[in-house]
Formats: sequence, structure tokens, C-alpha cells
Amino acid sequence: MSPSNTLSIALRVVRQLVRDRRTIVIILVIPLVIMTLLRYSFPGESSLLNNAYPPLLATMGLLFSFMLTGISFLRERSQGTMERMMASPVSRFDMVVGYLLGFFILALIQILVVVLFTIYALGAHHAPGALWRICIFQIIVVTVGVNLGIFISAFARNEFQMVQFIPLIIFPQILLCGVIWPVDQMSTALQWIAKFLPLKYAINGMTDIMLKGQGLLDVGYEIGILAAFAVVISILAALTLRRGAA
Amino acid sequence: MTSREYTGPAIKVNDLSFNYKNLKAVDQLSLEVPRGMSFGVLGPNGSGKTTLIRLLVGLLKPKYGTIHMMGQPPSRKMSRYIGYMPQLASLYTELSIAQNVDFFARIYGVRNRAERRMQVEEAIQLVDLWPRRRDSIYNLSGGMKQRVSLACSMVHRPPLLFLDEPTVGVDPKLRVTFWEYFQNLNKQGVTIVISSHTMDDAAHCDRLAFLREGRIIAEGTPYELRQATGQSEATLEDAFLYFVVSMEEGNESK
Ligand SMILES: Nc1ncnc2c1ncn2[C@@H]1O[C@H](COP(=O)(O)OP(=O)(O)OP(=O)(O)O)[C@@H](O)[C@H]1O
Ligand SMILES: [Mg+2]
Repeated sequence: MSPSNTLSIALRVVRQLVRDRRTIVIILVIPLVIMTLLRYSFPGESSLLNNAYPPLLATMGLLFSFMLTGISFLRERSQGTMERMMASPVSRFDMVVGYLLGFFILALIQILVVVLFTIYALGAHHAPGALWRICIFQIIVVTVGVNLGIFISAFARNEFQMVQFIPLIIFPQILLCGVIWPVDQMSTALQWIAKFLPLKYAINGMTDIMLKGQGLLDVGYEIGILAAFAVVISILAALTLRRGAA
Repeated sequence: MTSREYTGPAIKVNDLSFNYKNLKAVDQLSLEVPRGMSFGVLGPNGSGKTTLIRLLVGLLKPKYGTIHMMGQPPSRKMSRYIGYMPQLASLYTELSIAQNVDFFARIYGVRNRAERRMQVEEAIQLVDLWPRRRDSIYNLSGGMKQRVSLACSMVHRPPLLFLDEPTVGVDPKLRVTFWEYFQNLNKQGVTIVISSHTMDDAAHCDRLAFLREGRIIAEGTPYELRQATGQSEATLEDAFLYFVVSMEEGNESK
């Protein structure tokens, strides 16, 4: 484990995206457009709308960090820079942690912008004083998404395949984790599957914090499970890193 | 590194084999490269040059046989002393030339800021791109990318350099500069393994190996290889064809 290698990689990942202005704009603007559409697709000020915000925020946290990381990581493989890294003294663990840190910083900025926009510009209801808890919880969701992106990119040979993986990873979670219909009203089999999907915990936690005003300790169970997801997936990501480079 | 005490060959490969599924890419190959020389690997497309280099830098694991670098088997620790230039310019396209070179200096352990700045400048100067160091890779020509790629692979001043077709797309004037620099490195004890298709590169090497279907069909100094054909006017190209033909005749008579 070498902190300086990890930091060099994280820094490079951030620099790469910062120098790519167009991507930065796309990353920041698209989630805002989606939230705005959500806001105005509901007639008037309904309580339904307020219930829709937390699941959507959690979904976007997971989805956007997953996409950003997955595609960037795959580019690293296809442009051959991964091969260079593999031949260098950097360990696989340092690489995964370095990417994690780099994408994490970017995904974090994105998520803060979305949360603040949703709350202040769109006026989403939130329990008093929940703002910083929403942000911290979102950080954990983003960590899972980043790890998932690194891991899944090992199974794609090119960007085109990676794009196909996005609906595969995201749609089952949207359908089964309570974005559209509450999980506890689904069949036992589906509820059982949902137990293995990180988005379920992300949505539960976000809803509890945002609407019910619960503290971070109250959603400790969700946080714990999400952290466990992050750890397990990052180990898997480190193990699959060799693929495509050799 | 222990290189001061170590006096044996820089690279020693014994009975090395590697296959991709059913395809034998490197086949029972043995090789010794003394320290401080430029060793050329020549052969047609698909003869196994890249595979051999990737085995040597530790990107591929041999199916059979052994590899020793400075007397030691390839390892993550050894990789610090190795510079590797992949066949295709592998760079971060959004980053500038300087940022790319600096990144590779960092991950190869050039920690000291002042030292790193100096080495980065030297590497970029060598490939003659210093005035354009702030340009994104995105905006460079093909040959320029190749040059940045070379700079990235040697910025940490490794005692062992593996260059997979470094002169492809590089203009003749700069090629001369490259070879002067390589020979200068050789004098300082740096061992360089170069794969190439051009006879111009081959003539600059101290020793050459002709590769075909993953096997070495001939090895020696450029002079020895030309002599072996028996013709006084023979070029290296003639020599290569001579060995290919004599190998095929050998196979037929079996
Ligand atoms: N990743 C791979 N998977 C399967 N086969 C491969 C792979 N890489 C190379 N090969 C095969 O191994 C053989 C040797 O390839 P290699 O890239 O080592 O050749 P080369 O001598 O470097 O050729 P070139 O001059 O075109 O660079 C070829 O037949 C090639 O098709
Ligand atoms: Mg090759």
C-alpha cells in the first residue's frame, strides 16, 4: 500500500476530467435537467412529488457514479494506459483505491450540486437540518457506485458493451428497490432478490433521512450494508483488474 | 539496486513458451542479453515480438521456462527498474504532454519534486517536444504521440528499457537523435531491447535476434548475420530472408 501512488492516480483522474470541459458540463447539467423534469411532470405541489425525490436522488447517486467510473475505467483499458500501469510498480490495490478516490471526488461534486439544486431551486421537502445528513449518506451511495463501475468494466471489452451493462445493472434495481413501487408490497421472491441490491438500502436510508428526519445512527443498518457492499465490490474489482490488461 | 555487484547478463531467458489458447506465440525461446547493449528483435507481423516483450516486462506469465532480469525473476519490485514502451502509444489523451510524463515519473517512484521536474524536462527535451509540453495529447500528430510515449517509458531512468517499435512514425532526423541517445544510454550501462521492422534500426543494434513463429531463427551481431549469408553485399534484409529460407528447407528435409 503506497499512499503517494494512490494520490498520484486520484489526482490524475481528476485532472483528466477537469481538462475535458464538455464532459464536466454534461456531468453537472444532465442530473439537474432530470430533477427539473421530475419536478414539473407532477401537477402542482403534491406530496407524491416529495416522496419521489429521495428515491431519485439515491438512484442518481448510484447510477451516475457507476457510469462515470465504468466508462472512464474502460477507456483506460482500451487506450492501453492500463497496460502501462500494470507494468509499473503500482499494486492493484493502490490502483483501485486511487481510482476510487479520484472518481469519488468528482462524483461527490456532482452529487452536492444535485442535492443543493433539488432542495433549494426545486424546493424539495426535507426534514429540518437533514441537509448535511443527506450529503454524507449520498457519499456512501457514491462509493458503492464507483466500486461497481470499476468491477463491471472488467466484463466489457469496449465502450459499446459497457453501455449495454448500464441498463442491466440499473433497471432491475429501479424496478425492485422501491423507486416505482414499495418493496414490501412485492412478492416474497422479489423482496428476497431486493435484499441483494444496494439501491434498496440507499433508497430506504435516503427516505428516512429526508422525509422522516432520522439521524445517521437511525439509518446505521443501511449505512453498514452499503459499506459492506462497497468493500466486497472493491475486493472483487481488485481481483478482476488483471483482465484486459494482459 | 544490486546492479553494482551483479556482473551476469542483464536478461536471461530460458526455454520460454507462451500460447494464446491454441496459438504458440513464443515457442521454447532462449536468450541472453549482456548489460549495456541495444538488442534488436526483428521479425514479420505476428512473429511474437510484442508477446516476448510483454513476457519480459511481466505483463504475461510464461507457460513454461524462466526469465531473469539482472539475475532476478520478474516481480513488482523489479518493475521499478524497467521501462516499457507499448507498441501503441498509450497515453491519457486529455492530459498535456508534461502531465503524462510527470504521472509516469510519479508512479515509477521518482518522489523528489526537483528531481522529477528535471527528469521530466529531460525526457520531453529528448523527444523534442518541450515547447509544446502544455498541449493535450489529443492535439498531437501520430509521430508526436509516439515520441511522448517514449518519453513516458524512460523518464524514471531505468537500467532496463523495453521498446516495442519505438521508431514507427518518427521522422528520420529525430530517429538519428534517438539512436544517439540510446547509444549514450548503453554507454552508461543501460540495456535496451527494441523490436522493429526497419533495417535502419537493426543496423544500429549491437546484437539482433530474428524471430519467426515465436522462435529465434538466428542471433548475432548485424555483421555476423550478414556474413552468414555468404554474400559480401548482403543487407540485413537479405540475411533475414536467407535464414527464413534455410529454416524452411530444414523443415522440409525432416
Ligand atoms: N491478446 C491476444 N490474444 C490472442 N492472440 C494474440 C494476442 N496477442 C497476440 N496474439 C497472437 O500472437 C501472435 C504473436 O503476436 P505479437 O503481437 O507478439 O506479434 P508481433 O511480432 O509483435 O507482430 P507485429 O509486428 O505486428 O507487432 C500473433 O499470431 C497474434 O495473432
Ligand atoms: Mg508487435
